[in-house]
Amino acid sequence: MSKTTPIPPSDYRTAAAAGIASPRLQKSLQGIQNRFGKGAMEFWAKMDDQELRHRVKESRMNTLAHLDIVLAELAKNIRARGGQVYFAATAQDAIDYTLAVAKKNNVKRVVKGKSMTSAEIAIDPALEEAGIEVVETDLGEYIIQLAGDKPSHIIAPCIHLDRAQIGQLFTDKLGIDYSDDPPTLTMAARKALREKMLGAEMGLTGCNLACAETGHISLVSNEGNIRMATTMPDVHVALMGMERVVATFDEHRETLQLLTRGAALQKLSTYVSFQGGPAALTDPDGPREFHLVIIDNGRSKILADPEFREVLACIRCGACLNICPVYGKIGGHAYDSPYCGPIGAVVTPLLDGINKHADLCKGETLCGACRDVCPVENDLPRMLAALRHKLAYGSDRWNTSQHNPAEAYAFALWKLLVSHPVLYRTSLWFGKLFQWPFVRKNKMIGSLAGLATGWTKDRDLPPLAGQTFAQLWKKKYAARRPNESRAQSKEAS
Amino acid sequence: MDSQQTFLTTIRKSLGLPPTEERSKTTFPGLFRQTNKAEILARIRQRTPQELDKLVGILLSNAKDLNISASVVASRDEAAAAIVHLVKTKNLEFTPTKHVVHHDHPDLNALQLWKCLEGEGVTIHTTFGPDRQLREKTIASFIGITAPAIGVAESATIIQLTKPGQPRSTSLVPSIHIAVLDRKNLVADLAEAYALLKEMALPDSFVCISGPSKTADIEATMVHGAHGPRELHLLVLSPPTNEIAIDTGIPGTEEPVAFQEEYLQCKK
Repeated sequence: MSKTTPIPPSDYRTAAAAGIASPRLQKSLQGIQNRFGKGAMEFWAKMDDQELRHRVKESRMNTLAHLDIVLAELAKNIRARGGQVYFAATAQDAIDYTLAVAKKNNVKRVVKGKSMTSAEIAIDPALEEAGIEVVETDLGEYIIQLAGDKPSHIIAPCIHLDRAQIGQLFTDKLGIDYSDDPPTLTMAARKALREKMLGAEMGLTGCNLACAETGHISLVSNEGNIRMATTMPDVHVALMGMERVVATFDEHRETLQLLTRGAALQKLSTYVSFQGGPAALTDPDGPREFHLVIIDNGRSKILADPEFREVLACIRCGACLNICPVYGKIGGHAYDSPYCGPIGAVVTPLLDGINKHADLCKGETLCGACRDVCPVENDLPRMLAALRHKLAYGSDRWNTSQHNPAEAYAFALWKLLVSHPVLYRTSLWFGKLFQWPFVRKNKMIGSLAGLATGWTKDRDLPPLAGQTFAQLWKKKYAARRPNESRAQSKEAS
Repeated sequence: MDSQQTFLTTIRKSLGLPPTEERSKTTFPGLFRQTNKAEILARIRQRTPQELDKLVGILLSNAKDLNISASVVASRDEAAAAIVHLVKTKNLEFTPTKHVVHHDHPDLNALQLWKCLEGEGVTIHTTFGPDRQLREKTIASFIGITAPAIGVAESATIIQLTKPGQPRSTSLVPSIHIAVLDRKNLVADLAEAYALLKEMALPDSFVCISGPSKTADIEATMVHGAHGPRELHLLVLSPPTNEIAIDTGIPGTEEPVAFQEEYLQCKK
């Protein structure tokens, strides 16, 4: 394998530059990071139960190691409650199944609860193609949908838009009088979406945490849109990444508490709703059909690799976004994925191709903040470095080709030079000779040619010195070095 | 089931196990290990009224942080008075006339709201199981009243179990949610609540509610009433504890008493 491919043109850089240039985004991100990122770090530090994070991580890893058993138990218990469970190996399987359920129930409108998994499998276009209206109901996601935009934060999807932009959007799309007052805008969306939610045949949600022992999925929300989408329509379809499950009810509690703390420092989200099956015949409301779609879509490949299995322990709280210095500057759009920030930089390449998303792991700084804040202590920097390793050397397992062969050759050459002093000195001698055309009046190298252009684009390099450190040392200080016998006798005395 | 078998085979392969050999949970007793709940349950059941009052104090203080209007009512009459006051004074949002819907729950039925709101132009609905028009009635209601099965002091959470006569939409679709929580159903924290839940056969659907619906999606400005109720009023039904008068120190807890007269008059 390991064939070489040219570096693809990068949208990452363009989007990152746009993010950095947006004062609105910078202010919003700073606000959210100061509040939630720092807040989570402080909370973990003074939390009474200092073993909690470690315990939950252990239970997450234990569940992953027995995932076949845990998922079978979940499916069994949900079926016992009258729910239907479908195992989707690929995104297309999940889409096909959901479409079939929609067709069978003559669905004209689907109301969605915020779900990154639904974005990952790109189910919206498939539903729309089938002539079904798709409405996002989370306020942030709804705004994004109206704007034809993409979310830029896991829990605050429209953080990159300001109130004036949203006000104008609502005037254009909802026909309300212009206002930039958040309560007024929220009330307008509340009214518009209430109609949509009361008149939809299907609710489509993700799944924050399923509990195998009791046979439930659980969903968290502050707005109540997820409860609406799972209560008022006749059919509820929940899409669940296969790792989003805990074995026992006890584990559910501990994991849930880390999720809501990590996400927004809440003891609990406003609503934590548990669904295990359709409404009973005696219930006057609730869905008549409940479908759980458990999705692999590349996760089993991650599970199989001990280097990356840990990332499946992630509970998608978004804490790493709230602390990452890189995300905090470039914003979510640069990641070009439903999963942004440090977690996105690890999971997006693994799900969608390491070469395709090569910029993500290289863009992060490996500073370690995401590891420190992660409620389940995931070592994201380690995995980012592992991804870089795959890009540097190629990987058959991940079908990854060497990302930048020129760089590899350069390092191979460097290895040769530093391990052969004569060659090294000779090349230094040549370097000194040939650098002069590049040295400017200020005695600095201002621009280099070819592959080295990038090094001098934003900074000057000092030229190779006339004498090496070793030469200077010999000349100036070697004579002053105390001779060995004297130094030894001094120590002895 | 085919899709399941293929799927789980892939997982076993990923875990480096013989792909076709199904594993059983009985081989891994630790995986679904249960912690002993007897101690927690005993603690909950043996709580004295004084201890419960302390929990009420914690609940009220946490409720305040979450914008829940929580107060203590000493009797059913006081609870009814507080509700009548809310029904009379709160504004309508989606509908032109005042409808109120409440769960078919003994604590709520006992309030006889229909009686004390007679002549006020208010229609009271009860969520009786077989009522096919209940969906429409709930959508028409501006206030929904429930009696949660469990209250959690630590996080100011109420837990609603879905069961016949106690549907999901009552605490969700109306603009205002009023919950009448019996003090004896109050527990200290989520661990206690989970122990209680585990002990009851868990229903197919239940929900933990910790506040009115909220969003901060527009410039991180907090707004209440995104999709669910914009207000949550929590009435803790808590008969006076004679031995020790507990001062919760929370202002506003005596409020309902002030409506007592208004209510008693309407009852006559």
